Amino acid sequence: MRAVIDTFGVVAQLAFRNLWASGSKTLIFGGIIGFGAFLVVLGTSLLDSVDRAMSRSVVDSVAGNVQVFSSSSTEDVDVMSGFAFDPNAIDPLTDFAKVKATVESVPNVKSVVPMGINESLVVSGNTIDQALAGLRKLVNERQRQGPSPEHDVAYAAAKERVRQIIGVLSSDIENTKKFQTDSSLPPDELSSVARAGSPEFWAAFDRDPLGALEFLENRIAPLATDADVLFLRYLGTDPGAFARSFKRMTIVAGEPIPEGQRGFLFSSYVYEEQVKLETARDLDRIRQGRSSRGVTIATDPELARMAREAPKQVKDLLLQLDAPKSALFRSKLQSFLHSDETDVGKLLESFLVLTDQTFDERYDFFYRELAPMLALYRVPVGDTLTIKAFTRSGYIQSTTLEVYGVFAFEGLETSPQAGALNLMDMVSFRELYGFMTDERQKEIAALRANSGAKDVTREDAEAELFGSSTPTARADAQAEMPPDLTRELSGIAAGRRTDETSKDRAYDPAQLEQGVILNAAVLLEDERRLDETIAAIEAAGERDGLPLRAISWQKAAGLIGQFAVLMRVVLYTAVLIIFLVALVIINNALVMATLERVREIGTLRAVGAQQRFILAMLVLESIMVGLTFGIVGALIGGAAVEVLGEMGIPALNAVSTFFFSGPRLYPAFGLPNLIVGLVVVLIVSIVSSLYPAWIAMRISPREAMQAED
Amino acid sequence: MNAIVSLKNATKSYLLGKVAVPALCGVSLDVQAGEFLSIAGPSGSGKTTLLNLVGCVDTPTSGTVEVAGHNTAQLSERELTRLRLHTIGFIFQSFNLVGVLDVYRNVELPLLLQGRLSGSERQKRIVALLDRVGLREHTRHRPNELSGGQRQRVAIARALVTRPSLVLADEPTANLDSVTGQNILDLMKELNRTEKTTFIFSTHDARVMSHASSIVRLADGRLAASAHSDAASQAELAELEPMQTGERLPRKRVGGTS
Repeated sequence: MRAVIDTFGVVAQLAFRNLWASGSKTLIFGGIIGFGAFLVVLGTSLLDSVDRAMSRSVVDSVAGNVQVFSSSSTEDVDVMSGFAFDPNAIDPLTDFAKVKATVESVPNVKSVVPMGINESLVVSGNTIDQALAGLRKLVNERQRQGPSPEHDVAYAAAKERVRQIIGVLSSDIENTKKFQTDSSLPPDELSSVARAGSPEFWAAFDRDPLGALEFLENRIAPLATDADVLFLRYLGTDPGAFARSFKRMTIVAGEPIPEGQRGFLFSSYVYEEQVKLETARDLDRIRQGRSSRGVTIATDPELARMAREAPKQVKDLLLQLDAPKSALFRSKLQSFLHSDETDVGKLLESFLVLTDQTFDERYDFFYRELAPMLALYRVPVGDTLTIKAFTRSGYIQSTTLEVYGVFAFEGLETSPQAGALNLMDMVSFRELYGFMTDERQKEIAALRANSGAKDVTREDAEAELFGSSTPTARADAQAEMPPDLTRELSGIAAGRRTDETSKDRAYDPAQLEQGVILNAAVLLEDERRLDETIAAIEAAGERDGLPLRAISWQKAAGLIGQFAVLMRVVLYTAVLIIFLVALVIINNALVMATLERVREIGTLRAVGAQQRFILAMLVLESIMVGLTFGIVGALIGGAAVEVLGEMGIPALNAVSTFFFSGPRLYPAFGLPNLIVGLVVVLIVSIVSSLYPAWIAMRISPREAMQAED
Repeated sequence: MNAIVSLKNATKSYLLGKVAVPALCGVSLDVQAGEFLSIAGPSGSGKTTLLNLVGCVDTPTSGTVEVAGHNTAQLSERELTRLRLHTIGFIFQSFNLVGVLDVYRNVELPLLLQGRLSGSERQKRIVALLDRVGLREHTRHRPNELSGGQRQRVAIARALVTRPSLVLADEPTANLDSVTGQNILDLMKELNRTEKTTFIFSTHDARVMSHASSIVRLADGRLAASAHSDAASQAELAELEPMQTGERLPRKRVGGTS
C-alpha cells in the first residue's frame, strides 16, 4: 500500500513538474479547459436561475405546484398556453368539496384552490351606443317628468354630444372614401349619415325624440366601428382562496371581488394591452421602449410604426369629446403647439406626430393635461361587463359582472404569460360553463312546473309518444334530466335576467366549495417533494373513488414549462460541441507533447517503469491541468454569476420578464453548478489524454538508447 | 558456471521496409559476475543491439539471451521491465536524466518504482551514493544546472541505487571531454571493485577500453575478438593508446565464438 502511495507520489511529482516544463502546451490545454469550465458554470448557473425564476412565475401565477383535474380528461390541463388549449378537453369534477377533502388529506399539501378556465368573446359598447343610451334615458325622464331648467341643460348637452359623434363619423366616412375608389358603404347608408348630420333632423328631433333615436340606433350606430371585441380568457375561482394562496397577486386598481359577490377582475396585462385607449397604449409602449430598451423612434422599426399610427387614432379621442371638452382640448393644444388651428382633430393629429426630440414633452403633456378628460380604458373599473361564452354543449350563455378591479402578479405585470387569465368568481364561471346553482335549479323546476312540461328523456321518448305502461313522470326527474336540456333551460333563464347586475346576485360563499370545478391548483408546504406528493394525490384519489389526475407545474404550463428543458438541451449541446472541439485540440497538443518526450519516457521504461506507470503519469498530468484550470475557470464563472447576481440581468421584453420572474434576474451560484463544471472538466481531461497516453505507453525502452540527435 | 549474462547464438534482425536487416548475427558470449567488460566496435557494428538484448529492452530474433538466469525470450513485457528494475542499472550516452526532477529525485526514481524501501531507507542510500559520486552538495540541483560529468555521475548513482547485479553503459563517455570521461571511468571501475557490480559498457574509445577487464569486439554484427585485459600488460596498453583503434589489436579470447 505504501508502495502505491509512493508511486503515486512520484507520478504526481513527475506530472506536476512536466506541466511547468511545457508551459505553452499546458496553457493551451488549460486555457481551453478553463474557458469550458467557465462556460459550464456560468451557463448552468444562469439556466438554473432562470429555471427557478420561471418555476416561481408559473407556480405563483395560477398554476400552483400541482394541478389536479379529472383523469377522464382527454388532455392535460394547460394554464399557460392561451387559446391553443381547449377547455372542453377537461372533464369536470362534480364536487369540489370532495376533491378538496381528498387532496388535503395528503401530507405536504398546503392549500387547494378551485379553478376553471374558459374563454369568451366580449363586445365592449362603442361610444355612440353609450351616448345614445344616455340620450334615451333623458328623453324617457323628460316624457315622464316634463322639462326643467337643469334637465334642459343636460338634454341639450346630450344631443350636442350625439351630433358631434355623427360629425366625426361622417368625416371619417369621407376620409375612407378618399382611400377607397369603390365606397364600401351603400348609398342609402351614406344618405342616412347625411340626414342624421343635417340641421333639419335635429330641428325636428324634439317633435318625435323616440322615433329619431330609433333611427339613430338602427341606422347610424351600426356604422360606428370603434366597438372593441375582446377575447378574454378567464379563470373562475374562489377569489379569497386564490388571493391567499397566490401571494404575489396584487390589486393594482379598484378592489378585490368582495366575498360572496359575483364579479370580475381584469388582469393588468389584458387591461393595458386590450382595454386601454390605443393612443395611450402606444405612448406607453414608445416610452417603455425608449427608457428601458434604449431604442429610439428613429432607429427602432416597431416604435416607428407606433409613432406613425398615433395620428391615425385621433378619431377614438374625438369620439370621447363633448362640446366643453372639445373647447378645452382646443385651447390647451393651441397654446402647446403655438398654433392658430381651430379644428381639434387637426390639432390632435399634429400633436401626435411623435419624434424622439418631442416625445418626452408630449408624453407628459398628454398624461398631465389631456388624459384626465378622457376615459383611458374602454371598460372602467366599476363598470359592468357582459360576458358571453359557449357552454360545454355549445349554447351561448351570458352573464353580466361588475369589474371590481385590476390585478397583477408582482414583478410579472407586463408578462403576457402570467397575465393571460382574468379572474371571476367560481359561481359565475359555473353558470357560463353550463352548470347551475341550486337557486337556478329550483327556478327551472318552478318554470317547468308552471308550463306543465313533462320531463322526457331520450330513452323514454318513444314510450312516451306511443304510450306504454312505464311511468314516465318521476318525482326525481329534475336530478336525472339530461344535462343538455338542463343547460338549455338555464340559458333561457339566464337570458331573461341579463338586465340584472351582478350586485343583485350575491351568493352564499359556501357555494364556492360545493359544485363543479374543472381543475384545482395545489400548493405545497415543501416544494422539493413534488413528485412524491403528486403520486400521493393520485393515490388518495383512487382511495376515495375520485378520478384524479395530478400533474406538476411544468406540465401544467405546457410549452412554457418545457422551455427550461429545451434551453438545457441547447446549452448542453453547445457545451458538448465546445468540448468535442476542445477534445480534438487538446488531444493534438498532448500527442505532440508526448512525441517530444519519447526519450524521457523511454528512459523511464528502461529504468524499470511499467507501462501502466506511464499511462497513469500522462492521465494524471491531464487531470492536474484540467482541474487546476478548470477550478480557476469555474471560479471566474462563479464570480461572474455573483456579479450578475449583484447587478441583476434586466429583462428586455415582456416574455423574459416571465422567465426572470420579475424585471431583473438575479442569478445565484450554486455548489451543484461547480460540481457539474468540474466533473465535465475531469471527463474531458481524462478522455483527451487517453490517446496520447496510449501512444506513450507503447514507447519502447530502446528509445532511451538512441543517441541524441 | 557463474555467468550473469549468457548469449547463445543470439541473432537480432530489424525490419527495414520488407527486408530483414541483421543487426546481430549469432553472437555467443558469457559474462562472469564482477567483470568490467567493454564492448568495442565501430558505429553500426551492433554494440547497442547487443546492449539492448543484455539490458532486456529487446529480445533476440533467434538464439537465447539469459540474464541473471532468466531466458529473456520467455519473459513478458512486464517481467522484462521488472527484471530491468531489480537487476540492471542503465547509464546512457546522453545521461537521460529526467529534466524536471532534481538530482535527488532522479536517483530516487528507481527506488520509488521498486517500492521496497521506506523514505528514510531511501534517503540513507541516496545520500551515501551521492557522496560517493561527489554530488553531495548538488542534491537539489536540476540536471540542466550541472555539467556533463556531473550529470553522468547522477546517472551512475541512479543506475547503482537499486544495487543491481549488472550495470550497462552505452558509450558513457562519448559526450564528455577526455578528463571528465577518465574520471567517470575511474568511478565506474572503483564501484566495480568495491561493490562487485558487473559492468558492461560499449565504447569505441581505446583509452576507455583500456580500463576493461575484458573486451568484446564487434564488427558487422559478429563477434570479432575478445580479450582479458587482466592479462594485457601495461606496456601493451601504453602501446595501444596512441592508436585510438584498439579493435584491431589481437586480444585473448574469453568467450566462445561460433
